[in-house]
Amino acid sequence: MANEPVPKNPVLQDKATIKEAIVRHKKEVYTPVVPAQQFGFIHNNVDCIGCRACEIACKDKNGLAPGPRFRRVMYVEGGTYPAVYAYKVNMSCNHCAEPACLPTCPTGAIYKRKKDGIVDIDSSLCIGCRRCEAACPYGAPQFIPEQNIVSKCNMCVDEIDAGRKPYCVMACMMRVLDIGPIDKLREATYPTKAMAPHEKDKLVRQVKSMADPELTNPSIVFIAHSNGRVDEPKEPK
Amino acid sequence: MNSGKDKWWIGAIALIGVVVWALTSYLTSSTNNAALAPPTDSGKIAASTTVPPKIAATAAPANEAQAAPAQQAATPSVTVTDYGRAHYDPIHFKPAIDKATDADCLKCHQEVLDTNTRDASPAGLKKVSTLAWYQTLDTYDGEQMTFHQRHLTAPFIKKVATMSCTTCHQGNNPRDEVSNTAADSPTDLTMRKMVDPNTCLMCHGQFPYQNMGLPGPWHESGAAFQNNCLLCHAAIRTTRHKVNFLNAAGIEQEGVANSDSCYGCHGGRAWYRTSFPYPRHAWAGAGATVPDWAKDRPTESDLRFLIEGSKP
Repeated sequence: MANEPVPKNPVLQDKATIKEAIVRHKKEVYTPVVPAQQFGFIHNNVDCIGCRACEIACKDKNGLAPGPRFRRVMYVEGGTYPAVYAYKVNMSCNHCAEPACLPTCPTGAIYKRKKDGIVDIDSSLCIGCRRCEAACPYGAPQFIPEQNIVSKCNMCVDEIDAGRKPYCVMACMMRVLDIGPIDKLREATYPTKAMAPHEKDKLVRQVKSMADPELTNPSIVFIAHSNGRVDEPKEPK
Repeated sequence: MNSGKDKWWIGAIALIGVVVWALTSYLTSSTNNAALAPPTDSGKIAASTTVPPKIAATAAPANEAQAAPAQQAATPSVTVTDYGRAHYDPIHFKPAIDKATDADCLKCHQEVLDTNTRDASPAGLKKVSTLAWYQTLDTYDGEQMTFHQRHLTAPFIKKVATMSCTTCHQGNNPRDEVSNTAADSPTDLTMRKMVDPNTCLMCHGQFPYQNMGLPGPWHESGAAFQNNCLLCHAAIRTTRHKVNFLNAAGIEQEGVANSDSCYGCHGGRAWYRTSFPYPRHAWAGAGATVPDWAKDRPTESDLRFLIEGSKP
């Protein structure tokens, strides 16, 4: 098949048309996908006990070897005795409104779903250039050295499509991690066990040491520890 | 009995001989070691690293090392150590990291340049036929490379920048699994593992057309300005490019040849939805009035990016 002569397409013989098409393609500009609904995460930094069951459930679901972690529970500790504190920040891919990883991908392997805003990598198209890994402000894309490709959290799209919640959420024994429509989570109108009614004023988009959410508008909110607050909650631009 | 006492000088000469031989041996070995050690601060760091006995036993014997000093001097000396010790090597922390050269970093991290992308994805998509959104600029050419190679060894980056490992990497806190998870940590790193995204933002932010008074983003309004940045910026120029990770002269040259060279770092390869708040560098002929968007901005680049000796 490969050695058979290809029939000549008259359009492709017109060099001017080809040149114009190349210029048009080269100057194409990326336009962010605006989903019908954006799903996001909520995590209660204060009530999380750091058991890492979510991490393990995620690794189990995705068959990950030691090393790459799609979900990461980060322990934050500080203060001086007796005023010491500790809390946990739990992040995976934040399925950003304008993901930095997406425009960097040279193969189109990264895409954002129109119906729920989930950002996924089709790893079968990945060539392992690791640009997405560099671009993500939150460290979500994980390099899989055995295959020389990058992979990341896809919010368990198969579970979502089946009407269930992701493995990490289902594994959380403290019920401090949940998903939902991010606009309702930000407004604190989505019913979730991750946030008690009196904790609405603790809802924030960013916690201390986290990259500026203005970079990509990540779809995540936290119930922040008093020592983890950056400033007053603010609406995305 | 007395005959033994007459021979005391033989013992004294033997003692002096041993001392002279020991001193000569010591001085010779010191000179050889000094010739082999790299004349940098990292050399001190490497020397202070303890070599575990198991690994030290596998190292080349001293006689062999002395037999071929020229060969050893030609290759960078690598201190054999284990992963844990290397993780806490002072070179990964301030202030040593500020003086680390690329050669110092590549002694252990050479794989960032040696490891390349796959020739084809698992599904068979060939890398020669792929192009990212920002790679559609005229300045992106050649085969796909990893982002480390694009930032350090690609032909274009060599023309316009002099980036080194420490331009982006400022160390991390190995005490924690993820950098800076201890709120009292002295570094400015974010919860991301290795690099502060604000460093990336300098060249991967949006084109701030509003600040320039343009009617729209460059891909829309560029045609009205003949797609030529220098139409306005031949006169409106800052000294912003005169920092230690950019090649200011090279940027001028490339900018004249093709405006995509300017656009590449000023919106054309945007990863993020915001722009970097560059310092308000005044230029010759700049008016005294500072526009609203530039108020309260610093007037110099970050201290670590200043060219040595360029500022008081």
